[in-house]
Amino acid sequence: MEAFHHLMTGFVTAVSPMNLLFAAIGCVLGTLIGVLPGLGPAAGTALLVPLTFRLDPTAAIIMLAAIYYGAMYGGTITSVLINVPGEAASVVTCLDGYEMAKQGRAGAALGVAAIGSFIGGTVATFGLVLVALPLTRFALKFGPAEYFSLLLVGLSLVMGLAGKSLAKALVMGVLGLIFSFVGVDPVEGAPRFTFGIAPLMDGIRFVPVVMGFFGIGEILINAEKSLVGVIADGGKVASFFPRRDEWRISVTSILRGTGLGFFLGLIPGTNSAVASFMSYAIERKLSNHPDKFGAGVIEGVAAPETANNAYANAALIPLFTLGLPGSPTGAILMGALIMNGLTPGPLLFSQHATFVWAVIASLYIGNVILLVLNLPLVGWWAKLLKIPYNILMVFILVFCIIGAYSLNNSLFDVGMMIVCGLLGYFFKKLDFPLAPAILTLILGPLMERSLREALSMSQGDYTIFFTRPISLFFLVLAAVILATSAWQAWPSAIREESKEAQV
Amino acid sequence: MKRVNTLVWGLLIAFGAFIVHQSLGHSYYGSDFGPGPGFFSFWLGILLIVLSVIQLVTTYRRPAEPLPDGFIPSREGMRRILSIMGALAASLAVMNFLGFALTMTAFCIFLLRSLGRQPWWQTLILSALAGFGMAYLFGLLQVMLPKGFLGFI
Repeated sequence: MEAFHHLMTGFVTAVSPMNLLFAAIGCVLGTLIGVLPGLGPAAGTALLVPLTFRLDPTAAIIMLAAIYYGAMYGGTITSVLINVPGEAASVVTCLDGYEMAKQGRAGAALGVAAIGSFIGGTVATFGLVLVALPLTRFALKFGPAEYFSLLLVGLSLVMGLAGKSLAKALVMGVLGLIFSFVGVDPVEGAPRFTFGIAPLMDGIRFVPVVMGFFGIGEILINAEKSLVGVIADGGKVASFFPRRDEWRISVTSILRGTGLGFFLGLIPGTNSAVASFMSYAIERKLSNHPDKFGAGVIEGVAAPETANNAYANAALIPLFTLGLPGSPTGAILMGALIMNGLTPGPLLFSQHATFVWAVIASLYIGNVILLVLNLPLVGWWAKLLKIPYNILMVFILVFCIIGAYSLNNSLFDVGMMIVCGLLGYFFKKLDFPLAPAILTLILGPLMERSLREALSMSQGDYTIFFTRPISLFFLVLAAVILATSAWQAWPSAIREESKEAQV
Repeated sequence: MKRVNTLVWGLLIAFGAFIVHQSLGHSYYGSDFGPGPGFFSFWLGILLIVLSVIQLVTTYRRPAEPLPDGFIPSREGMRRILSIMGALAASLAVMNFLGFALTMTAFCIFLLRSLGRQPWWQTLILSALAGFGMAYLFGLLQVMLPKGFLGFI
């Protein structure tokens, strides 16, 4: 009951005209990011972080959260209308969504996706309300040793689930951590890895790195390909509702998608694409007509779209309660919170209750805004795609430059973004996953501080991590996760090797 | 692919060694009982070296693989990448002198012409919008952008 009382107070703050306006702006910008190809949710959200600098923290995070889940929905529109997924989670929506559009049923596909996204997002937010306080109370028992071990669990999940190679994910995680040490040492105040360059004393900021990796890097990858012919004609959008005989199957798919997306959202390291692909696979397995999947069945759109929005909202649970971001976009939200003087984690709920409950309440409101906003405006969003990609690309680059510069009014950050763009390009070419580097870049200082505080408490005795039961549990869990990932990677590597040997 | 892998893992080994070397310049154990500023980075450097050496050895133990399709960009693709990187680097070099509006206008003219086939009038309008329009818009949002020698917005 206490949580609902807090939530009601949160609604009072969230429905203030300014906060409503910023939620709506966030939804529009998020949808725009989702619609535009070549600009994923991570780069898009990072790009817009500087826009929130002049806002008060509540409005800033309400807007960024709206951008985050708005982008999830935006990707659907282009998948259905022109078979171009705006982001990875929408790839699977193309399979049946585009087929439905070809049959003149784009409206029904978009309608069921919007309704599913709304239900998935709302239920996941309800879950956040239910578990936030108990989880926070549990997390308040954590000392530095427990927190360090918990961060290890989060990182091992991210590394274990990212990309094809565990070694490459580990290397990226280590590189992110090393970059996070640049600047003044958090405990003793000594400068590290600054090489006498004054701007490095403040450390490497995550926004230029994210914009470089995901924005410039992506643009360079796209620039390799031909830039003409990306844009196709949008289909006609008629009724937004499924046929009468499709309602029952749509509802059950939406419910399954909600459950799966919510569950996966709680696990750091999974991503919304995993949620949507997995829910598509489950629907196909449970269906009476699996052969029709890919030919335009409504559950092929309803389930994955619901799952990816439920995922996006549920992923805020570990972020807000434990300070554990599960994806690069979550890490950017975490970075934005830290920039606003708010550290995600159990103390957020006790020290900044008004803020955090207002943001949670705004998630409900944002889901309604998305539903109201997107369906009538679908045609307009599709028109945006007629802009040639080379023009879009140039404007994205200009935005990246403004975004990086306005962080600290410094060209050094722009330079950092350009260098990271080049690095991001090479990492992508070489199949190195970028997510672990971003997460460790943000979590690095927290990890180092908790490690060193724990060792100071124990007077240099490392057994502190093993003698405290919660810390030991987390360490064992992290080891199991890494061992499982390594085990799964091992046989496939051997199989591949023997296959190649035979050839 | 073997040569590419050797280069990548070799670079990472060198970077790890550099981090270890730099970490040794900081105190491993601090003034109190906890570890000092060089502790964590020292072990991360070691971990990077170990991981990279394992991968390097694996590369040599496995049969040679061909480069994946499209790994090396086409001549046209390479030209586009170099245009973008060159324009970014040049704009970084002249931004403080020319200011945001002029630099971005020139940046867009160059890229729109080199990446696409827009007519000149369209290129000029779009570039002015991206340069002067953005500078004006972000000025309204109180974002300070470099003004340059002309004192432009």
